[in-house]
Amino acid sequence: MANDAALPVTDDSLREEVRAWLAANWTGPLQSEAERKAWVAKVIEARWAVPRWPTEWMGRGLSDAQARVVEREFAAVGAPGTGQDRTNLWANTLLAGGTQALKEKLIVPLLRGDVGMCLLYSEPGAGSDLAGVRTRADRQGDHFVVNGQKVWTSYAAAADYGMLIARTDWDVPKHRGISFFFLPMEQPGVEVHPLRQITGESQFNEVFFTDAVCPAENLLGELGQGWGVLQTALAYERSAMGEGARGPRSGVSEGPGEPLIALAREAGVLSDPLIRQEIARVIALKKLNALNTARAKADLKQGTASALMSLGKLAMSRILHEEARVRTLILGAGSVLEGPDHPRAEDANFLTLNAYFTSIGGGTDQIQRNIIGERVLGLPKEPEVDRDIPFREVRTS
Amino acid sequence: MVSLPIEERLAFQGSMLRLLAERSTEADVRRVMETDAGYDPDVWKALAEIGAVGLLVDPEYGGAGAGPLELELVMEAVGAALLCSPLLTSGVLAAGLLQALGDAEANARLLPGIADGSRIATAALTGSAGTWTPDGVAVRARADGEAWGLEGQASFVTHGQIADVLLVAAVEADGISVFEVDPTAGGVAVKPLPVFDHTLRLAQISFEAAPARLVGKQHAGWNAVEEALGLARVALAGEQAGGGRRVLEFTVDYAKNRIQFGRSIGSYQAIKHMAADLLVESESATSAARHAAAQLAAGAPDAKSAVELAAFACADAFVKICADAIQMHGGIAFTWNHPAHLYLRRARADAQLFGAPAFHRERYVAELEAAHG
Ligand SMILES: Cc1cc2nc3c(=O)[nH]c(=O)nc-3n(C[C@H](O)[C@H](O)[C@H](O)COP(=O)(O)OP(=O)(O)OC[C@H]3O[C@@H](n4cnc5c(N)ncnc54)[C@H](O)[C@@H]3O)c2cc1C
Repeated sequence: MANDAALPVTDDSLREEVRAWLAANWTGPLQSEAERKAWVAKVIEARWAVPRWPTEWMGRGLSDAQARVVEREFAAVGAPGTGQDRTNLWANTLLAGGTQALKEKLIVPLLRGDVGMCLLYSEPGAGSDLAGVRTRADRQGDHFVVNGQKVWTSYAAAADYGMLIARTDWDVPKHRGISFFFLPMEQPGVEVHPLRQITGESQFNEVFFTDAVCPAENLLGELGQGWGVLQTALAYERSAMGEGARGPRSGVSEGPGEPLIALAREAGVLSDPLIRQEIARVIALKKLNALNTARAKADLKQGTASALMSLGKLAMSRILHEEARVRTLILGAGSVLEGPDHPRAEDANFLTLNAYFTSIGGGTDQIQRNIIGERVLGLPKEPEVDRDIPFREVRTS
Repeated sequence: MVSLPIEERLAFQGSMLRLLAERSTEADVRRVMETDAGYDPDVWKALAEIGAVGLLVDPEYGGAGAGPLELELVMEAVGAALLCSPLLTSGVLAAGLLQALGDAEANARLLPGIADGSRIATAALTGSAGTWTPDGVAVRARADGEAWGLEGQASFVTHGQIADVLLVAAVEADGISVFEVDPTAGGVAVKPLPVFDHTLRLAQISFEAAPARLVGKQHAGWNAVEEALGLARVALAGEQAGGGRRVLEFTVDYAKNRIQFGRSIGSYQAIKHMAADLLVESESATSAARHAAAQLAAGAPDAKSAVELAAFACADAFVKICADAIQMHGGIAFTWNHPAHLYLRRARADAQLFGAPAFHRERYVAELEAAHG
């Protein structure tokens, strides 16, 4: 067990402690999934996984600056596993709003990555307008009964729990009648139907609830206060999406260095001035976004970054679309092909399509711009015609 | 080049639109694009019967004897319907190449079958570099007495896997000539290429001492190829303009009907302005394609630059319209079952066929430079 958390920790003593622990425990690159899991478990046990968190939940109560000392030391030796207090959407949301019982049950398994999760937010009629959800949860004794439908639910097929927003009060305005749950997915009342995506893959799904059961202890936050919990969860999600997305899927690497430069070299067009300009533009977008993100995080307290996360996500969306465009430019006619024999074309095409994962998923670019305009810049809000009327009277498609 | 009288042109366009509305629905496109051949032989017959396949072919050889104006209109309809067929390949590129080569014997032998759809011809004009320029040709021809033999490889050959006749551009000694090759002959290997646009068929064709027949005059090949490519680019521009217009139509329709936050999403300026910008793209593409067709039909001095302009303006417009349309739809357009990606795939292929936009921009400036000193 680590230091007594009551003692003040200086940056120097902390750095020494992390270094000593890493020196004693880190033995180099992890070779398998089993090794990775074992390592992460060790990091959690030693309280390095979520150092910003309170001591009762495997944390150390460190400040953001101190936690970054820890992260830097881990990064210096190439060890994964820390920083989950910034990046683990599921565990952070649960910590912020969960009941004692649910936290005891799931926090550690979530940190260990042992629980499959999905986001049960979007519905056919409620995408950008998430507060318009019509899936209902009705209290019956010690549990809720859930009925309705979700859509575009990524990874629902393998999920043990879904973070669900459902309507629990139909007589108040839409934002005030929503509650947030951890819904167990493995039950007869939950049906998952895969949807084929434009990439040809089927990661997202339709999910149907017919009298699905959710224990009352799986409610996060107060009844009817789910919108607030959702904002916390969305901030973590957008933050992650602002840091990156899935890369090429062919698995055939362009080689060392900047992928676009390597690709252009391989294609024999690296000396083309037009290509060079375009490559510079994309790499610059990436670099500037990384600098912006680093600066924003240095300035911000944990969990208060919701609106600023929209900036990173919006920038990432542009980066991904532009990178795919420039890959296409570099490949020229070769970009019209696909399949394992044409990995470069496969990547350019996949990245062209998958860029929409970031520009639509997690709240569209247009919605991020609204958030930035209204919450960051303080521009007047777009009038919302249905904001203050009871949900029963709201107009839908 | 010739044009039909306006009434005939409109009547023809009408029958084309009817045929496509009935036989190239979205369901048809999805069914046909998953077949090996990539086209529906019955629809191909029907296209030939209304005169679409032999549109450009001289009446002497059984065609309609129409020109770029009619072609462009037909291709707008083809693009809107995402028709899966070798129309551009056989009826435009190959027929155009033969007519440009002006080899009476070859024309009499090949064009009637091309015009009535019983024979599908394609042109193999570039190697794996995919540049559609003389230095991109990767096939060599060798004279063997009276006969010719071909060596090398052609790629991005549209509908190469279903063609009965190959017209191959090949380098010999000091120039490029065009040769007729029977794809079933010894020494010819046709390999289908997997294409991101499932509505298109491409092949790579290898030649090893493949028997070939010279078509037209020796070394006159690339001029004829350019002439045929000019027609193909006008056709493609029409397809892009028509496709883009259709995508914009269904996207605006969706924006009117999809409600979020109690309002139709089209009431948000974010969406409304995107739609307005896309209308500029779509109208510009239509103007560029029709202008190119008109100048080419009239044999105008600026025909070449008009074709180059259409080639890149329509290519970029179609890609942009499809790309933004997906964004404007949200999650629904990220599904396989939504048509938006089918158009995006077609747009990305069309933007590369017969030269990428940057290539055409370069040639556009070069044309203007040459014209204005
Ligand atoms: C790959 C992928 C994975 C996803 N995974 C999940 C998941 O795991 N769980 C989940 O719950 N959801 C998921 N989603 C759903 C995603 O969050 C929604 O698609 C997104 O929020 C948009 O909602 P919508 O699709 O209903 O589009 P709509 O909200 O109908 O939007 C349509 C268009 O209107 C615009 N628009 C809407 N409102 C406004 C406004 N006020 N101002 C300006 N423009 C506006 C949008 O920007 C968009 O262009 C995923 C989506 C994708 C594409």
